[in-house]
Amino acid sequence: MITAWIDSHLLSFIVFAPMLWGLLLLPLSERQAPLAKLLGLLGSFGILVVAAMQLLHLPADPMGQVFAERFPWFTAVGIPVDYHLAVDGLNLWLVLLTTFLVPVTLLGTWNSIGKRAGTAVALFLMLETGMLGALVAQDLLLFYLFWEAMLLPMYFLIGVWGGDERQYAATKFILFTLSGSLLWLVALLFLGGKAGSFAPAVMAQTVAGLPFPVQSTLFLAFALAFAIKVPLFPLHTWLPDAHTQAPTGGSVLLAGVLLKLGSYGFLRFALPMFPDAALHFALLLAVLSTVAIVYGALVAMVQTDIKKLVAYSSVSHMGFIMLGIASMTVIGTQGAMLQMLNHGISTGALFLLVGMLYDRAHTRKISDFGGVALKMPVFTTFFLIVTLSSIGLPLTNGFAGEFLILNGTYVSGFGWGRPLACVATLGVLLSAVYMLWMVKRVFWGPANPAEDSGTAHLHGDLTSREVAVLLPIVVLIFWMGLHPQTFLAQSESQVARAVAQDRAPQARPAFLSAEVKP
Amino acid sequence: MNLTAGELSAIMPLLIPALGACLLPIAALDKDQASVKWIRASMFFIALLALTGGFFYLTRLWASGAQPSFGALRMDRLAQFGGIFVLVTAAMAVLQLWDHLHAEGWVKGETLSLLLFSVTGMMLFCATGNLIVLFLGLELLSLPLYALTATVRTRERALEGGMKYFLTGAVASACFLMGAALVYGATGSMELSVIGPRLAAGPLDPIALAGAALLLLGFLFKMSVVPFHQWTPDVYDAAPHPVSGFMSVATKGVAVLALMRVMAVGLPAVGPQFRSALAVVAVLSLLLGNLAALAQTSVKRMLAYSSISHAGYLLLGFVAGTPAAYAGVLFYLLAYLAMNMGAFGLLSALGLVGDEVGFEQLKGLGWKRPGLGIAVSLCLFSLAGLPPMAGFYGKYMIFKELILTGHVSMAVVGVLASLVSVYYYLGIPVALFMGKPSQQAEREAAERPAVLAPLAGATVLICGFLLVLLGLLPGTVLDGFARPAAEETVRLAR
Repeated sequence: MITAWIDSHLLSFIVFAPMLWGLLLLPLSERQAPLAKLLGLLGSFGILVVAAMQLLHLPADPMGQVFAERFPWFTAVGIPVDYHLAVDGLNLWLVLLTTFLVPVTLLGTWNSIGKRAGTAVALFLMLETGMLGALVAQDLLLFYLFWEAMLLPMYFLIGVWGGDERQYAATKFILFTLSGSLLWLVALLFLGGKAGSFAPAVMAQTVAGLPFPVQSTLFLAFALAFAIKVPLFPLHTWLPDAHTQAPTGGSVLLAGVLLKLGSYGFLRFALPMFPDAALHFALLLAVLSTVAIVYGALVAMVQTDIKKLVAYSSVSHMGFIMLGIASMTVIGTQGAMLQMLNHGISTGALFLLVGMLYDRAHTRKISDFGGVALKMPVFTTFFLIVTLSSIGLPLTNGFAGEFLILNGTYVSGFGWGRPLACVATLGVLLSAVYMLWMVKRVFWGPANPAEDSGTAHLHGDLTSREVAVLLPIVVLIFWMGLHPQTFLAQSESQVARAVAQDRAPQARPAFLSAEVKP
Repeated sequence: MNLTAGELSAIMPLLIPALGACLLPIAALDKDQASVKWIRASMFFIALLALTGGFFYLTRLWASGAQPSFGALRMDRLAQFGGIFVLVTAAMAVLQLWDHLHAEGWVKGETLSLLLFSVTGMMLFCATGNLIVLFLGLELLSLPLYALTATVRTRERALEGGMKYFLTGAVASACFLMGAALVYGATGSMELSVIGPRLAAGPLDPIALAGAALLLLGFLFKMSVVPFHQWTPDVYDAAPHPVSGFMSVATKGVAVLALMRVMAVGLPAVGPQFRSALAVVAVLSLLLGNLAALAQTSVKRMLAYSSISHAGYLLLGFVAGTPAAYAGVLFYLLAYLAMNMGAFGLLSALGLVGDEVGFEQLKGLGWKRPGLGIAVSLCLFSLAGLPPMAGFYGKYMIFKELILTGHVSMAVVGVLASLVSVYYYLGIPVALFMGKPSQQAEREAAERPAVLAPLAGATVLICGFLLVLLGLLPGTVLDGFARPAAEETVRLAR
């Protein structure tokens, strides 16, 4: 009976089971922390298995909405709010990424959570509910609720288990995010009141009937909330603080999924609902994205803390994703879709690796290291692979995504596409500079001679647990690099629909679209 | 005097707490040391019995759909809503008072008696359409509160706060009475249902407008809205924690309910003027309440300023002025009841007494009392308006109506104000879960006997639970409870 229920309410199960499981873990005491960690890991792994079994063999493109659940939830005052969940081309792989990253995070940070691990695991599981719910929500108000519900677990993860400046970072994180989303709420209510519904399709029709200045204002309210989450330059200042102060697991999920929800919001809601306004502001978005790419890379270059370096590299990489979306071409947007997955895996892995290094050396300063390769060859191998994927070396996942994005920007046919693509390509180059320079200083050369250096504290290479965490990531890195089509197949028609509303068809030369087809 | 069954059922909800209030001082007469424990317990039991009795009577009345009246007293839907609201708040306050007064070492029968008299006054206040009876209700609810503020009279600050409340409150009451007199002069009636049509019939009489403005002042004072708010932080600081919670919730709530009735029934003619005045004071309250709360180091003063800002949100619903907005206001009141009683209840549950409770004293306590910490965090998230807690839906309903009636800029002010509020509300969870107590505080805590305040703790847990429930089922509660009461008001106006 339970399996039958799960079959008919698959998404509700996937979304809410982690939270309920987490609530069950809450009463476990401090001494039972290992049990809580084990149960949390098993629970999240179970969700991954269920999600993978059900979602990996879905109909090919166009897949439409599958596993849809829809019923009126809250129709009290005027505007009906639907409980409407569904998986479609846009969110399929992000859902899988999320369910994959949570067990990876739990296993990867097994020993580094420290005190009150049981509560932390419960919060991770609640965070998973928020993330998955936001991804599969098809009703805008429902999306808003999940979007906000994500904040609290992350807030506590940063604020309780974070570094020395954790309270400041946690408060900054929540205030920044809320400042965007509250104004967005006003726009949402305004539009919902006009449309009489929170269904994006209905709202889009209403938008088409509004005067352009109103459309633009509403679009900006939507864009602000999403851009803060991405984060787009100049709204990125909360990110380095949050990342450096967050515990390793928090950073992985923050970079891996939470940031993606910003760009996902653009793709699913902001662009399709406001085609005219989006077109109007596309140049602004593209320029800001390009600035983010170069600025993030330049700032990353001068960081002395490895984790902060990775955090700024995130700003740069998220700039790529936004550039692909702002190009308003199918190819660029498909590249952005792929790059969302890439960034989730590569940067998530980088944060995990930095965490592993920190657990051993208790420092993250680049100058404290040197010659790590001599002491930890296996770790170095993994780190190098992930670094190369983050740089975007051909055959790794980063390349395919960045290539498609730059390609899409180049052909976007606005006149500004080519110079922006050229500048953004500089970002690829810069990413090689800051990553490889960091690798050189940390891993190569003779061991750091100082007695108290980070290298001196390194004892023992990766444990089998850590290898077990990293191996699937490496497999994914190469799989996505060698055959990106697996991850792009389902989204194309939906992306094309989202983009077609925005762009005249001549911006999508036939030979380029053909290239992405199987 | 012969009462019909209908008349009796109209006054019964008021009679039950009033009877309890009269019984309590008798119980407090006994000074015998040996039996003092039992007497105290029976006092609280009587108080709870009176409140629950009134509660069950009212819920049955609500379920039956009857709306009896007795003279100027109308136990209609709105009044029943107000009665249930006040009785639940008071019951929580009584439970918290048990723990708090024991912690203070000041358990007196008159405290509960005063509380019950105030409850009676509040129920009368939101159950009448006659200006004189309204004034009676106002006084009956206010006078016991002045005394309750200063009830722990060994503390200097309590006396100062009580005096301050009394003096300012007396001025507000005088204004209210003057307003009633002017309205009477202009229309020749004290009945709202007569005043309404008479005012609407001709051009607006300036005397009536002045009277209406003075009436409004009385309400705004009780709601603690800027610029009639100065007493609030001092009084909340001075009063015992549960009494502060009770004042912040129940007084504000009944003032909102009574204002709703007065505006809808008696003064629709001055509706536009009222709305623009309310828009101004609402925005001022939002700004001042939230900004001043940012700077507070004392938890109670922070909550006091926050209650000023919440009055601002409630008034935004009046600015929108649609039936749905009124329903949203009532829903907001229900959420506000749970979240504010929970927040004030934390202080009693942790056994914190003394003139000032700072955030410092809360540090690290969340890990020692996890259930309490989680429940009160839910209350504060709800106060901050974070979804999916009930407070979010209250704001959502009010903002939505504001936007639909074309007050987009006010909605923007409202959300920005609630953004500011997130910062200071999170101060409590931050202190509870993220702060480390200083060594001195830990030493002091080790010396003090462990505090076990089960009743106050239970109220906080109930509040947290209620907020989650309201957040999951906003539609059910709204349709079943808030909307009938609000629609009743609008129907009366027609």
